[in-house]
Amino acid sequence: MRLIDATPALFMIALSAAIVAGTGDLPYWADITPGARFFPVWLAGTGILLALLLLANLYSDPAGGRVEIPDARAVVRVGLTTGGMIGFIVLTPFVGMVLAGALFMAFLLLVVLRQPLMPSLLTVAIVALGVEGIFVRWLGVALPAFPFSI
Amino acid sequence: MDSLNLLLEGFATCFTPGNLAFILLGVLIGQIVGALPGVGPAAGMALLLPLTFGIEPVTAVMMLAGIMYGGQYGGTLTSVLINVPGEASGVMTAVDGHQMARAGRGGAALSIAAIGSFLAGIGACLAVAFVTPLLSSFALRFNAPEYFLLGVLGLIAAASLGSSPVRALIAAVLGLMIALVGTDPVTGAPRLTFDQAALFEGIDFIPVAIGVFGIAEVLSSLERSEDVQPIRTRLRDMWLTAEEWSQSRFAILRGGIIGLFVGLMPGAGASVASMLSYLNERKFSRHPERFGHGAIDGVAAAEAANNSASHGAIIPMLALGIPGSASTAVLLAALILHGIQPGPSLMTQESALVWGLIASMFVGNILLLVINLPLAPMFAALLRVPYVYLAPGILALSLVGAYSATLDMGTVWKSLFFGVFGWLMIKFDIPRPPLVLALVLAQLVETSLRQSLLLSFGSLGIFIERPISIVLLILVATMIALPVWNAIRSRRSPSRAPAAE
Repeated sequence: MRLIDATPALFMIALSAAIVAGTGDLPYWADITPGARFFPVWLAGTGILLALLLLANLYSDPAGGRVEIPDARAVVRVGLTTGGMIGFIVLTPFVGMVLAGALFMAFLLLVVLRQPLMPSLLTVAIVALGVEGIFVRWLGVALPAFPFSI
Repeated sequence: MDSLNLLLEGFATCFTPGNLAFILLGVLIGQIVGALPGVGPAAGMALLLPLTFGIEPVTAVMMLAGIMYGGQYGGTLTSVLINVPGEASGVMTAVDGHQMARAGRGGAALSIAAIGSFLAGIGACLAVAFVTPLLSSFALRFNAPEYFLLGVLGLIAAASLGSSPVRALIAAVLGLMIALVGTDPVTGAPRLTFDQAALFEGIDFIPVAIGVFGIAEVLSSLERSEDVQPIRTRLRDMWLTAEEWSQSRFAILRGGIIGLFVGLMPGAGASVASMLSYLNERKFSRHPERFGHGAIDGVAAAEAANNSASHGAIIPMLALGIPGSASTAVLLAALILHGIQPGPSLMTQESALVWGLIASMFVGNILLLVINLPLAPMFAALLRVPYVYLAPGILALSLVGAYSATLDMGTVWKSLFFGVFGWLMIKFDIPRPPLVLALVLAQLVETSLRQSLLLSFGSLGIFIERPISIVLLILVATMIALPVWNAIRSRRSPSRAPAAE
């Protein structure tokens, strides 16, 4: 059994422990009724039990839960895409949501996915106009706007 | 008779220009998200849920339900033409449908899938119309212990019918743990908020659903973005021969019945329905050797079952407030977010909404038949758009949708977090639907458990004192025992395991 295969079980044990510790200041039982800590404690117990069952399954059949580790290219793509989304969120208050979304899509198509320029720009334009048309004009959602827009 | 009158009133609600337009929009979106590998109806519904806040609840629910069953029709295109099922429920369709397409009968496979889905869908709509009120009035006898056991049954059934029950239960526990954050539902005390104002209101359903279904799926698809060219199909290829129809008609009937019963079971869903129905057809066929090599009755049975199941799952959702699938979990969340309290009283308190929704499903199925018979080649052309051009748009729409739900950038951050979390779940083979189901059911499970113990002064005996709760308890125990029994059986005779697969 590899450590990486056991990650979900270990994560569940850690999370269960954190829930028990995090609800330490709440009552487990109050007079005649279960308190705010009652359900979290039982849930954490169930989580630990399931994690131990998963570990036992992995121990008895290591091939059964073998995690397929993504290759470096896949990790880079997912990492850059996630980075792009973080950039989108960070940029939104400064340039507005539609423009930040357009920049994010252009980054994804041109830098991460290495697609040709013209189809990529066309895609960006269609989606950006769609977002503006549907969310802002039709539904009247107050998306963060470009500070210097009219 | 009452049901019939109420159904007619539902049609009256449904036949307004605005509602008809939103039903059409819903089924069109469903058709498209079903046809796009890696999106699926639950993700499509989650992404569009924030857009429904500006419209009437009945209209919103009609549109979202349209996406749900429209997705079953749309998923056929990818299964048949590129052998990549858009949803797990399309796997059995791909087995024979793609073989038919390779043999030049892709049009016939699409036709029988559309006709089978339509007939089974209409049959299931009738069942929804007549079974839901009965179940709902029976459920009025339910009290806290029954609700607790029903919620647990929903969670355990979802897990025990999957390939790895322990992993699915871990996902369900994760969903319940996410729901712990915020305020205690009984006393109102802050719980697991770590003094962060952003956590006081808890973690909404929307960022979790958008992240875990939408963003995670796109991240996973971007890892391997090789595009597969679909097999071309033309309108004239869509005619069925008399022999093909006679091979398929009873398969549709059997598939529809199996699908309806499977859909009624919490957690089973359209994929289990299509698999059971396909295996049933193969087992009782006079020519089982045709299955896997382009058997049209295999396609008909699988498609009838998955559409029937997706309608059938609405029955426990409407009658009991218990979602039977990931898609109905999103639908239930939509009701809650629109300020409607689900449960047995929904049928009487929100009669116009419930019957409008049921009527809309009849209309939606008719629209989908029209869309899928003559227009299937046009939708098939969608599959030629390379996925790399769709993925950035889906991500951008996910983030914008998350923001528009609450007008708070914190929701967008949460969506991103759950997107990466969902991607990790895919990598570690932890199924995502139980997490979302659990998140929806969490409050019901916790409050009804605590109310039960309050009623019994802390005694667990309350769960075996009432007849209905005893039945539910037996069902829960059976659902727990089922995977254990299967595991013991497959260990004793390992040769059975692959056959079952």
